[in-house]
Amino acid sequence: MVISHALGARIKRREDPRLITGRAIYVDDLNFAGMVHVAIVRSPHAHATIRSIDTTAARRAPGVVAVWTGEDVKARCGPLPVGPRIKEMKAPKRFPLVIDGVVRHVGDPVAAVVATTMDAARDASDLVEVDYEPLPSVQDPEAALEPGAPILHQDLGTNVCFRMTYGGGNVEEAFAGADVVVKTRIVQQRLIPAAMETRGVVAQYKGGELTVWTSTQIPHVVKTTLAETVRLPEHEIHVIAPEVGGGFGSKLDVYGEEGLVAALALALGRPVKWIESRRENFIATIHGRGQIDYVELAAHHDGTVAGLRVRAIADLGAYSQLLTPGVPTNTGLMCCGCYRIPNAHAEVIGVFTNRTPTDAYRGAGRPEATFLIERAMDLLAAELKMDPVEVRRKNFIPPAAFPYKTPTGAVYDSGNYERALDKALERADYRALRDEQAKLRKQGRYLGIGIATYVEITGLGAVAGLSGGNWESATVRVEPTGKVTVLTGTSPHGQGEETTFAQIVSDRLGVPVEDVVVLHGDTRAVPHGVGTFGSRTTPVGGSAVYVAAEKVKDKAVQIAAHLLEAAPADISTDGARFTVRGSPERSVEFKDVARMAYKAYKLPAGMEPGLDVTHFFVPKERVFPFGTHLCVVEVDPDTGEVTFRRYIAVDDCGNILNPLLVAGQIHGGIVQGLAQAIYEGVTYDDEGQLLTGTFAEYVVPQATDVPAFELDHTVTPSPHNPLGAKGVGEAGTIGATPAVVNAILDALAPFGVKDLQMPITPRRVWEALEGNSASR
Amino acid sequence: MIPDRFEYVAPSSVAEAVGLLQRYGAEAKVLAGGHSLIPLMKLRLASPRYLVDINRIRGLAQLQEDDGTLGVGALTRHADLETSELIRSRYPLLADAARVIADPLVRNMGTLAGSLAHADPAGDWGAAMLAVRAQVVATGPRRDRTIPIDEFFVDTFTTTLGPDEIVSEIRVPKPSPRSGGAYLKVERKVGDFAIAAVGTYVVLDEKGACRQVGIGLCNVGATSLRAKRAEETLRGRVPDEKAIADAARAASEECDPASDLRGPAEYKRDLVRVLIGRALRRAVQRAKGGA
Amino acid sequence: MKVEGTYTLPASRQKVWELLNDPKVLAKATPGIKQLDPLGGDTYKATIEVGVGPVKGTYAGQVSIADKVPLERMTLKVEGGGKPGTIRATGELRLEEQDGKTIVAYTGDAHITGLIASVGHRLIGGVTKQMVGEFFKALENELKS
Ligand SMILES: Cc1cc2nc3c(=O)[nH]c(=O)nc-3n(C[C@H](O)[C@H](O)[C@H](O)COP(=O)(O)OP(=O)(O)OC[C@H]3O[C@@H](n4cnc5c(N)ncnc54)[C@H](O)[C@@H]3O)c2cc1C
Repeated sequence: MVISHALGARIKRREDPRLITGRAIYVDDLNFAGMVHVAIVRSPHAHATIRSIDTTAARRAPGVVAVWTGEDVKARCGPLPVGPRIKEMKAPKRFPLVIDGVVRHVGDPVAAVVATTMDAARDASDLVEVDYEPLPSVQDPEAALEPGAPILHQDLGTNVCFRMTYGGGNVEEAFAGADVVVKTRIVQQRLIPAAMETRGVVAQYKGGELTVWTSTQIPHVVKTTLAETVRLPEHEIHVIAPEVGGGFGSKLDVYGEEGLVAALALALGRPVKWIESRRENFIATIHGRGQIDYVELAAHHDGTVAGLRVRAIADLGAYSQLLTPGVPTNTGLMCCGCYRIPNAHAEVIGVFTNRTPTDAYRGAGRPEATFLIERAMDLLAAELKMDPVEVRRKNFIPPAAFPYKTPTGAVYDSGNYERALDKALERADYRALRDEQAKLRKQGRYLGIGIATYVEITGLGAVAGLSGGNWESATVRVEPTGKVTVLTGTSPHGQGEETTFAQIVSDRLGVPVEDVVVLHGDTRAVPHGVGTFGSRTTPVGGSAVYVAAEKVKDKAVQIAAHLLEAAPADISTDGARFTVRGSPERSVEFKDVARMAYKAYKLPAGMEPGLDVTHFFVPKERVFPFGTHLCVVEVDPDTGEVTFRRYIAVDDCGNILNPLLVAGQIHGGIVQGLAQAIYEGVTYDDEGQLLTGTFAEYVVPQATDVPAFELDHTVTPSPHNPLGAKGVGEAGTIGATPAVVNAILDALAPFGVKDLQMPITPRRVWEALEGNSASR
Repeated sequence: MIPDRFEYVAPSSVAEAVGLLQRYGAEAKVLAGGHSLIPLMKLRLASPRYLVDINRIRGLAQLQEDDGTLGVGALTRHADLETSELIRSRYPLLADAARVIADPLVRNMGTLAGSLAHADPAGDWGAAMLAVRAQVVATGPRRDRTIPIDEFFVDTFTTTLGPDEIVSEIRVPKPSPRSGGAYLKVERKVGDFAIAAVGTYVVLDEKGACRQVGIGLCNVGATSLRAKRAEETLRGRVPDEKAIADAARAASEECDPASDLRGPAEYKRDLVRVLIGRALRRAVQRAKGGA
Repeated sequence: MKVEGTYTLPASRQKVWELLNDPKVLAKATPGIKQLDPLGGDTYKATIEVGVGPVKGTYAGQVSIADKVPLERMTLKVEGGGKPGTIRATGELRLEEQDGKTIVAYTGDAHITGLIASVGHRLIGGVTKQMVGEFFKALENELKS
C-alpha cells in the first residue's frame, strides 16, 4: 500500500468538536413523551436463596407504573446468550432478572421498578422487600476448585466452566534438561473497566418497530440477540448505539438490562429508560482480568529458554457472559510472547465464583499473557545475573522466521522485535540510566528500570458465540453529487474511525476527507456489522472500507471510460478527474461520473446503476502488533511511594493511518496498563462484598498521576490485509503493566524483593520492605 | 445516585441561617461547598430533610489578618487558601495542606469550615488546625462561642457544634517570629484522602530550642488527632536528629489507626513516624528562615 | 471486619457476668440499640440504629446470647437488615478476674453487606472500634451507678 497525502496524515479527529462542545447525544440525552424510568433492585448478598419478594409497597408508591420480578420477565423473555461454546464448556442459562431463586453475586438483579420519573423509581426500589436466605459463598477461584466448595450452579454440579490446554514440544524433557528453572505465581487482580459513560438503555415500541438505543460496542449483535430474548422478528428491531462514552470491553456484551428494558417497552407500550448508576456499574457491569497464573520457565546457563509451563485459573465470576471464556484462552494462546520457546504447555481453567462476571477488558487475556512471560524473563535474568535486555535478545524470534507458529498455536504474521527494543534503548539511553541507577543506590535512592517487550494478537473477526462470523462489512456509497457516505459495521466509541475511515476513502478515491462521512452504530443505516473490540476496527473494518472503495473506483473508471468512449485500461485518474491517457482534453470530473452513475441510460449495457459497493472483509489470519515499553521509576523505601521518572514506548502497529490517533490510543492504553500495575484493583471481602465500591476507594489515576510519554514506533506491515495495518487499541495496556512492575522490582532488587502483588500500592512496597534494616 | 427528597433553603444572612437551623433542628444540614455532604446524600447514606445553603450569605469568604489572628470565613474555599499570597508567605503549613487536599475541582468548592464541621478523620484541615491551635467560632441563636480546636472534634463525623450552630469563622494564631510549619501527606493518587498525613508547627527560641510545638495527625484515628506526647517530647529541646526521631516515634505510638484498604495499622504508624520526621525537619528549616 | 482487645472493668467477675446477662443493661450499653424485646431464651428482637454524624442506618433484627459458660464466656450475636444492607456481628467475651477487677477479652467479627460495606470501608474500622469502646464505657457507667 502506498501511504498518500490522506493516509498517514496527522488529521485531527473529526468527532472531537461535537464531543468537546457538549453537542454529542448519549443515551441519557434521549427523552420521549410518556417515557418511564427503571430502577433495578439488586442483591446485597454474594450467594443467597430468595425466599420471597414482596412488591406490594413498591407498587403503591407514587408514580410507580410496574414492578417486575423474575417471574414477570420469564413470561416475556427468553434467556440471554451464553458466550462462545468452547469445548465441553458448562455454563448456565440466565434471564434478564434472577428467576431461579438464587442470587450469585452482589449486584445480581432481582426486581425492576418502573415509574414516571427516575426519582420515583429510585424511591420505590427501596420498598421492594426481598427475603434472602444467605448461602455459603466462594470468592477465591482456587478455593472454588476445592472439593466441598459451595457450588454456584447446582445443575452443573461443578464450579469448573471449562478446561483448555495449549502447547507443543516436550515440556517435561525441556525442564529435565534445563540448567535453571524460575517460578512465580501471579495474581492478575480484577479491574473495573470504568468507562466514563455508564451503561444505559432506552427502548420504544412504535409502529410495529422496536427501537433500542443502547450504550454498546456491538449494536448488530444486540439486535440479533434481542430478537431471541424478547421474541420479536429481527426485522422489527432497530438498535442504535448513539454516542458511546467508552467501553474498554465492558460494553462488548449483551446485558440483561437490554432485554429487560426492551421487554418493558413492549409490555407497557411506553418508551422506557434505564441509566446505570456508577454504583451499579461497579457491581453489575463486567470486571476485567481476574486470573491466577502459575508460571515456570526453564532455561540454559546462557539464557536460552528451553520450556514454559503455565497454569492459568480464571475467575469468571458468577456467570459466563458473551466472551468470558475467550479471555483466559487468549492467555493460553499468547503466553510464549516474543520468544522462540520450543516447548510450552498451558492449561487454562475457567472457574465460577460468587462475584461479578468477568469478560473482555482492554487487552482481554493478552495483558495476562504478556505479563506472565515478561515477569518470568526478568526473573530468569535475575537468576542468571544477566541484563534483562540480553535475556530478551537471546530469545527473540528472528525477523526471518516469520510467519512463525508458536507451540501454543498462534501464527505470528510479521515482526522485528529487536528493532523496537533497540529503538527504545537508544531513546532512553539505557547505559546512562543504568549508571545513574548505580550512582543513586550509593546515596540510598532507588531507581528502577523496567522493560517489557510484547507481541499481541488483534484483528479478530468474530468468535463463534457472536451472531456475526469472522468478518466486517463496509459500504462505500458515492452520492450523485460526488459526496461519499461510508457505512461501517464496526461501532467506534472513542477510537476515531470517523476520521481514519474517511482518510482511507479519500486516499482511494481522491476525494477530500471533508467530502466523506462515516456512519456507524445504527442497524437500520448499516445493514450488517460485528462491532468494535479486540483492536479489530482498523485491520478488519478498515480493510473492508479499503476494498469497497477500490471496487467503487473500478466501477467509476468503467463509467468514465464509457462516457469518454475509451477503454477502461486507458483511463487515468487523480481522483478529481478521469482522463484518457495521452489525450488530456478528453476528461470527465469525478462528480459528473457520480451523477451519471445514477442515470441508467448513460451506463454501459448491463451495468447496474449506482456507485455503491458493500464489501465483507474476511481476514485470512490475525495480525500481531508488538513493541517495547521502558519505564523508569523511583521508589521511596520509607513511605512505599512509587514515582515515575520516564516512560518510553516504541510500538509497531504496521502501517500508521493517522499518527495522532495512534498516539492517542497508546497514551490511553498505557494509562490503563500502569493503573493496573500500581493503582487499580478490585477488593472483595471474604463474603463477596465489594469493598472498592466507589471511585473514592477504587483508585483510577488522573492526569497528574501519570508520567509524560515518549513515544516512537517502527513499521512492520502485516501481509494479511490491504492496509498492512495491525490494531493498536490495546497495545499500550499490554506493554505498560509489566514494564512498570519490572521497573519497581528492579528498584527493589537491592532489598531482595523478587515479586510484588499488583496493584503495587505504597502499603505493598512497605510490607515487602518491612523488617529490612536497610530501609529503616 | 439520586438523593432522597429534601427541601432547599438559601438564607441571606447568618442570623437567618441560624433561625432555620433552630426551626428544623437535627433534620437540617448546612450546605457549604457540598463536597462531603452531597456525595453522602447521593448514596442516601445521609438524608437530611432540609438543606440550608449558606453560599448566598455575603461577607463569609474573608481571609485576612487582624489583631493577633488570621480569620478564615465559612465560605473561604480550599482554593482561596491555596492561591493566597498571604498564606503562601506567612502560613507555610496551611499552604502545604491546601495544595494536597483533593483535586482542583474539589478545592474550588470545598471550605475549611465545612471540612472541620464534617469531622472526617481523613480531612486534612483537622490535622492542620490542631497543629496551629486554631479556634472555631460558632454562631448560634445566642452569643458566638469560640471553641478551641482541641475541644471541637468528638468522634468520627461528630463535633461539639450544636444542631442550631454554624461555624462562622476559623481563627488561626498569627505566626510567631522564628516559627515554621509543614504539612506532608501520603496518598494513593492525587485527589485521594490520605493514607496518613501530618502537620507540624514549631516556634524556636533564641537558642534554637523548641519553645512551642504543634503536631496534628490525619486519618490515623477516629478523629483528627493532636500528637500530644510527641509535642511534649520535643518542647524545650533543640530539634536535632535525635529529638526529632524521638518525637516521630512518640507520634507513631500515640496515634490509633485502623487497618483498611489503605494499609495495615502498622504501616500507618510507621508512615506517621517517617512523615513526622520529614515534616519536623522542614518546619525547623523554615523557622530558621529556609524555604 | 475483625476487632479484638481487652477492657478492664472495676468489678468482680460475678458482677460483670450479671450485667452482661441483664437485657436492660445490654440494651442500654450496646451502641445503637433502640429497643430490645424478649423472644424467649436468650434471644431478643431489636431495633438497631447505627449512626455516625449525618450517616444513619436503621436495622431491624435480633440480638442473642449464646455459648454461655457462666462467669467465663459468652457470645453476643447481633443480626439485622435495613435499607443500607445487612449487618451480622458476633462478639466473644471472655472474663477473667484479677485483683478484684475483671478483664474482658473480646474478639469480634462483623459482616456488613450492601452499600455501607462498599462505600464506607474507610470508616468501618474506626467506627467499630469506637462502638466497642462505647459499649465497655457504658458497662463501666452501669457499675458506678
Ligand atoms: C473527590 C473528593 C476528594 C476529596 N479529597 C479530600 C482530601 O484529600 N482531603 C480533605 O481534607 N478533604 C477531601 N475532600 C473533602 C472536601 O475537602 C470537602 O469539600 C470538605 O471536607 C467539606 O467542605 P464543604 O465546604 O464541601 O462541606 P459540605 O459538604 O458542604 O458540608 C460538610 C458537612 O459540614 C457541615 N457544614 C459545612 N459548613 C458548615 C458550617 N459553616 N457550619 C456548620 N456546619 C457546616 C455540613 O452540614 C455537612 O454536614 C474530598 C472530597 C471529594 C469529593
